[in-house]
Amino acid sequence: MRTCFGALALLAWAGVAPAAEPPHAKASPAPKSSCIECHSQLDGEAAEPVKHAADDVHFQQGLSCHDCHGGNPDSEPDDVVAAHDEKKGWNRPTRLTIPLFCAKCHADAAFMKRFDPMARVDQLAEYRTSMHGRRNATGDAKVAVCIDCHGVHGIKAVKDPSAPVHHTHVAETCGRCHANAELMRPYGLPATEPAAYKSSVHARALYEKGDLAAPTCNNCHGSHGAAPPGLQSVVQVCGSCHGREATLFREVEKKKGLNLAPCIQCMVCHDNHAVQAPTDEMIGVGPKSTCTTCHGPSDPPYRSAELMAASLERLKVRHAEASDLLARAGRAGIEVGADQVALQKASDQIVELRVLAHSFDRERYLAAAGAGLATVEVGVAAGERAFRELRQRRLGLAVSLVVIAAVIAGLLFKIRDMEGPRPEP
Amino acid sequence: MATRRGFLNWFLGTSAGAMCAAVVYPMLRYLVPPQLPEAETTRTVAAREGELKLGEARVFPFGGRPALLIRTAEGEYRAVSATCTHLNCTVQYRGDLKTIWCACHNGMYDLTGRNVGGPPPRPLESYKVDVTRGDIVVSKA
Amino acid sequence: MSALGKARSWLEERIGLSALVALAREKRVPVHRHSLWYYLGGMTLFLFGIQVVTGILLLLYYRPSSGEAFESVQFVMARVPFGWLIRSIHSWSANLLVFVVFVHMFSVFFLRAYRKPRELTWLSGMLLLFLMLAFGFSGYLLPWNTLAFFATQVGTEVAGRVPVVGGFALRLLRGGDQVTGGTLTRFYGFHVAVLPAMTTLLLGAHLLLVQRHGMSVPPSVEAEAQRTGKPPRDLPFLPGFLLRDAVGWCVALGTLAALAAFLPWELGIKADPFAPAPAGIRPEWYFCWMFETLKLLPGRVLGVDGELIGILAFGLGALVWTLIPFLDGEKGGERLRRALVLAGLLALAYMAAMTVVAYLPGRH
Repeated sequence: MRTCFGALALLAWAGVAPAAEPPHAKASPAPKSSCIECHSQLDGEAAEPVKHAADDVHFQQGLSCHDCHGGNPDSEPDDVVAAHDEKKGWNRPTRLTIPLFCAKCHADAAFMKRFDPMARVDQLAEYRTSMHGRRNATGDAKVAVCIDCHGVHGIKAVKDPSAPVHHTHVAETCGRCHANAELMRPYGLPATEPAAYKSSVHARALYEKGDLAAPTCNNCHGSHGAAPPGLQSVVQVCGSCHGREATLFREVEKKKGLNLAPCIQCMVCHDNHAVQAPTDEMIGVGPKSTCTTCHGPSDPPYRSAELMAASLERLKVRHAEASDLLARAGRAGIEVGADQVALQKASDQIVELRVLAHSFDRERYLAAAGAGLATVEVGVAAGERAFRELRQRRLGLAVSLVVIAAVIAGLLFKIRDMEGPRPEP
Repeated sequence: MATRRGFLNWFLGTSAGAMCAAVVYPMLRYLVPPQLPEAETTRTVAAREGELKLGEARVFPFGGRPALLIRTAEGEYRAVSATCTHLNCTVQYRGDLKTIWCACHNGMYDLTGRNVGGPPPRPLESYKVDVTRGDIVVSKA
Repeated sequence: MSALGKARSWLEERIGLSALVALAREKRVPVHRHSLWYYLGGMTLFLFGIQVVTGILLLLYYRPSSGEAFESVQFVMARVPFGWLIRSIHSWSANLLVFVVFVHMFSVFFLRAYRKPRELTWLSGMLLLFLMLAFGFSGYLLPWNTLAFFATQVGTEVAGRVPVVGGFALRLLRGGDQVTGGTLTRFYGFHVAVLPAMTTLLLGAHLLLVQRHGMSVPPSVEAEAQRTGKPPRDLPFLPGFLLRDAVGWCVALGTLAALAAFLPWELGIKADPFAPAPAGIRPEWYFCWMFETLKLLPGRVLGVDGELIGILAFGLGALVWTLIPFLDGEKGGERLRRALVLAGLLALAYMAAMTVVAYLPGRH
């Protein structure tokens, strides 16, 4: 161990590569050592470690085989015994011991600081709290260890877009085990979560729209400390992005002295993995309503849901009417640009109402709907004003047509007067 | 006969005069420049000095879209587009946080419009603000 | 002498208007069963005058750049007092003008008013007709909306297919290889400077020639007069014909005002050069008959591109039509005349029919 550290320290101090190299920079060739020279000439499994050496972030930072595996990198070629000298620390970890193996460096703050001043060194501690880590501690070699997600010899940095742990590949990586029914059965886990996630609005945002802010498995479950959020924490997890809804939800618990934990919070209405874009039909008492999942017609909240849904519907209908009125007036040539921008405020108020549904507070909701309705009515009034102006234009036209008709009559009579009543062309 | 002719001449003259007036009047009104001298796609008066208190902000229409005019606690005026670059909600100014905040998913922007927190992927378009003769004029940079 | 009399004689010594007025008083217009067609020339002139006046008013607010053109037209329509009226009249009058100029041309054709000594009047008139079409084509792009953008693209594309000079013509028209803001500025220059200058010259020549030769009497009326020995009746231009002209002009003015108020010209959607072309692009109605014809032609005819044949045919047709006075000279016989009338009727019928076809539902 000490020899390993010594060798590592020497190499690191020699400053083979600067610490802040971007992870996907041109792969530098692996530093020369007898390990690489020998293994690159072998076939099959023995050649695997060297195949992807150029992509590996450790090699790019100037580390080599012996920095992790020990042994003698300066041994004579073909001298396997000398190279694999256990006295020089050569070892090959088993699956169960891999977390400790990687943590040799990755849990050492002073060591990691030489490569990345902001590097975290608590991965092992987190791992121990995860389901993977707990089972690993009991001797279950089938659960995930470091190399299952990060790769083993061609390890790429997390920021590298082609890394298996890059944000866009996490679901795929987790899915390698969690979508495998055979693997999951002994643990009592359904293997449906990855597929459910793929169908969700979050996956669509991430994969179709390319929105990197959209969550994937580790955003809700943690990466090294991967575990399902506890019942208390679902609203916390969703709330890390959907802050307002979460705040409102927590206020409800406090205000009404409710313990909503048994309802598993957000999941009741929104599901956890197959989250779909919410629709307005979820509010109210209609067939697609989520309120009626728990509340029957004799519950007071049923009535609240009815009223809230009705006010939202009324606002939406009136808003559409106002938009249409203003659009038609605009097409007819009346200036309505400022009125249309003012009406946009009502769109924001409709979004606000959808958020306020999470307050489960009838009075507050209806008050907000009322404010939205007031904005919309201003828009409708503007539209009606525009049409009044249109009517004025037509009135002006009618007057001028009368004048023109008078002129035409005058001309015709004048012609007749000048030339007598003979028919002239 | 003479009076009839006289009446006819008078009638023709008067109605022709009225028609000329009906033609010339709109043309003259047209020539007089309207209140706002030009289409406001690139430049508009967002407010007048003194309308906004320190630390207050207001949404105003600009080029058909909402924009945000902020008067910082130090008295400086800033203007940015008010449409969040994440999912198009309208942002607001949080005087308590001295940042621009989007209520939909907690997006945060600094006063230059740069996205500094939450999901927004791009900064808000920043506009130029000039104060001339008591008008706060916002124009596209 | 009264003040007015003094003023008149002052002007008389310097300008000599009385000679012109005397000339105008002398002018007489023949009256017969076809003389209604005589009003069309004046109507065309009136509508052109409306275009000039409304056009000048519009250019006080219009901005010829792709970033501001649409907004400036919107500004005129919505913010400028009576801007909606001026703009709608300009657009409607443009269409009315093209319609009337075609009717004027066809009436002159069928009444054979192009015969000697009026060949040059016909020639200048045909050139004026082409100029009016150019006005329409260039003006259509100026609001910079989607329909106009793509119609211009299609139109200049067709111009580019003319052999030999097509490529050059396309680049000259577009101000580049594509329709861009540069095209807009160029079209604006054509529309407000180049074409008006050319029109002024040709129109001046056309009107002078008309005054010089007087109104042509159709051969059938002449023949009848010779037979009965009675010369055709006539009307003094001042005031009789002019007052009747004024009646027509008032009707036109009223029609334009009504159209502006009940069918205001749409603004459309601002052009986006990167958006795909919408379905149903077509040029203005007066080009539609050519557009439909090109669409009907088969891809290849005898190894030559079908559309190219169409374009060349139109060019040849226009040339022949312009040179009609030289084909139907005094030497031509009755059969030639009948053939020409038939050809003219066929051309008219074809153009009308193809225009209707372009607007059939489901056509685009």
